[in-house]
Amino acid sequence: MTSIHVPSPIIQVRNLGKYYGNFDPAMIDRTGPEHGTARDHVTASIVAAWGVNFDVAAGEALGIVGESGSGKSTVLRCIAGDVAASTGDVRLAPFEDGNVNILDLDPSARRQLRINTLSVVYQDPAEGLALGVTAGGNIADPLTAAGWRNFGAIRDRARELLARTEVPLDRMDDIVRNFSGGMRQRVQIARALANKPPILLLDEPTTGLDASVASGVLDLIRQLLEELQVAAIVVSHDFGVIEMLTERCLVMQHGRVVEDALTDQLLEDPHHPYSQKLVAAART
Amino acid sequence: MTMTMNKTLPILDVKNVSKSFTLHNIDGRTVTALEDASFVVHPGEHVSLAGSSGAGKSTLLRLIYRTYSITAGSVSFRLANDEWVDIAQLSDAEVIALRGREIGYVSQFLHAQPRRSVIDLVARAGVSRGMSTADAHEQAGYSLARLGISRTLWDVHTSVLSGGEKQRVNIAAGLISPPRLLLLDEPVSALDPENRERAIEVIADLSDQGVAVLAVFHDLDAISRLASRIILMSRGSVVTDGPVDQVLPQLTPGDVQP
Repeated sequence: MTSIHVPSPIIQVRNLGKYYGNFDPAMIDRTGPEHGTARDHVTASIVAAWGVNFDVAAGEALGIVGESGSGKSTVLRCIAGDVAASTGDVRLAPFEDGNVNILDLDPSARRQLRINTLSVVYQDPAEGLALGVTAGGNIADPLTAAGWRNFGAIRDRARELLARTEVPLDRMDDIVRNFSGGMRQRVQIARALANKPPILLLDEPTTGLDASVASGVLDLIRQLLEELQVAAIVVSHDFGVIEMLTERCLVMQHGRVVEDALTDQLLEDPHHPYSQKLVAAART
Repeated sequence: MTMTMNKTLPILDVKNVSKSFTLHNIDGRTVTALEDASFVVHPGEHVSLAGSSGAGKSTLLRLIYRTYSITAGSVSFRLANDEWVDIAQLSDAEVIALRGREIGYVSQFLHAQPRRSVIDLVARAGVSRGMSTADAHEQAGYSLARLGISRTLWDVHTSVLSGGEKQRVNIAAGLISPPRLLLLDEPVSALDPENRERAIEVIADLSDQGVAVLAVFHDLDAISRLASRIILMSRGSVVTDGPVDQVLPQLTPGDVQP
C-alpha cells in the first residue's frame, strides 16, 4: 500500500454472476473466452456473466466494453435490479453504509433503491420513460415517488432539469412520443437525475442516435459526470464513448472480464487478444 | 546549474525499464520498443529526450504515465511526502490519483474535450490540482495571455480553435499550477515562430518553479534553450546521458525527428 489517496468505492461488485438455465458447477469451466462461447454444450445453459469484480469511486466513471452478447449489459442490469443475479455481492456505499448486499433485497426494496440511490439511462428511451406522458410528467414521477408533494416545486425542479439537459422548456408539456431520439434521450437523462442519485448506470446511452446528436448527448453526459461527482458505470460497444467518459474500463467477452485497465492504456496498449482485436477494429 | 540540482533527491528514478508488445493477432509476435533504460530526473531539471524516429522517446513518456504498461524494470516516483512509489506496481486507481495532480502529460494534441470555453478548460485543470476557482480563473487568464491567446477567444468553445490555438490552450491547461513532474511530447510542434517563442518561455519558467520536466522536442533550438540535460536514445536504448554542452554537439538533425 502507498500513501496515495484513492477515493473510497461507492459501488463494490464481487463475483457477480448470471446464468440462464440449470446450474452445473462444471459449466463454468466449459464456457467463456477459451471456449469461444457463453453457452454450455452439456446443459445448454447460458453463462451470461461470471466472476465479475470491480469498484467504482465517487466522481469516477467505469467503462464496460465488449460486443453484443459479451455480458456487459447483463452486469449493468444485475446491479440495477432489472435482472436477478444468480450469485455475487454488490454493495452501494450510499445504501446502509454498504453493509448490505443489495442482491439479497426483496423486489420492493430493490425498487426503492431506484428512487434515490441509483438511476439508469437505457439505450432505448422507451425503457426509461413513459412515452405517452409529457416530459414534465416523466420527471415528476420519480420526484413524487421520493415524496415531493408541492406541485409548484415539482414543476420548478422539472424546469431546472430540462434546462440543464438542454430540452426547450416550451416542450415540457408535450408527450415524449412526439420528441426526436436525441431529445427523448435528454429527457431520460433529466429524469434519471431528478433525485440527485449518487450512482448512475448508463447502458449504450448514445447508440442508435445520429452521429451529431450522439455527440451532443455524449457531451452533456460528460459535463454532468464532471459536475455531479456521481459514481457511474458506462456500458458501450463504442470505444469513442468509453474514451470520452471513462478513465478505467473492463473488457468483457463471452460473459467474462478478459481485461481491466486504464482506458488510455487499453486503447494504446491492449493486452488480451480480444481487446487487441476490438481496439484494432475501432481504429480502422 | 546541473551540479547544484543533483544535490537534491531525484523525483524520478527509472531503472532497467523495458517495454515489449505482444501482437496476438499478428502471429503472436513480440515487438520490443524499449530495452533496459535507466536514468534519474531531479526537481527543477529539464531533461530532453533525443533520438531518431522509433528510438523510444515517446514510449518512455507513455510508460512513465502508464499509458503503456511496464514490461520490466521499475519507475520510482517520489511523492510530495518523500515516499517512493513504483509506478509499475501501482493500481489503476492510484495511477489516476497521481495523474494530473503529481504527474502531467502534455502531448501535441488537445484531446477530445466537452463543449467548454477556453478559459473554463484551463481553469478546471487548475482546480483539479487544488486551486480555488477564483485563483484558477485569474491564473488561466494570465497563462492564456502569455501564450498569445487573445481575450476574444476565452469564452469560445475549444472545438472552433485552430490547431495552433488548441495546442497553446493545451499547454496552458497542462502547466497551470504545474504537477511536480511534467512529461512533454512535442508540445510546440504546431506553433508558428512567434507563438513557439512564447510557449518556450512559459516552459522555461517551469524549471525555475522546481518542476521536473522530461520532454521530447523536434528541434535542436528548443532543446538547446530549455534542456539542462540530454538523454540520447537509439533503437529503444539510452546511449548517452549528459549535460547539454556535452551531448548537444553529438546530435544530428536526425536525432530530433518525431
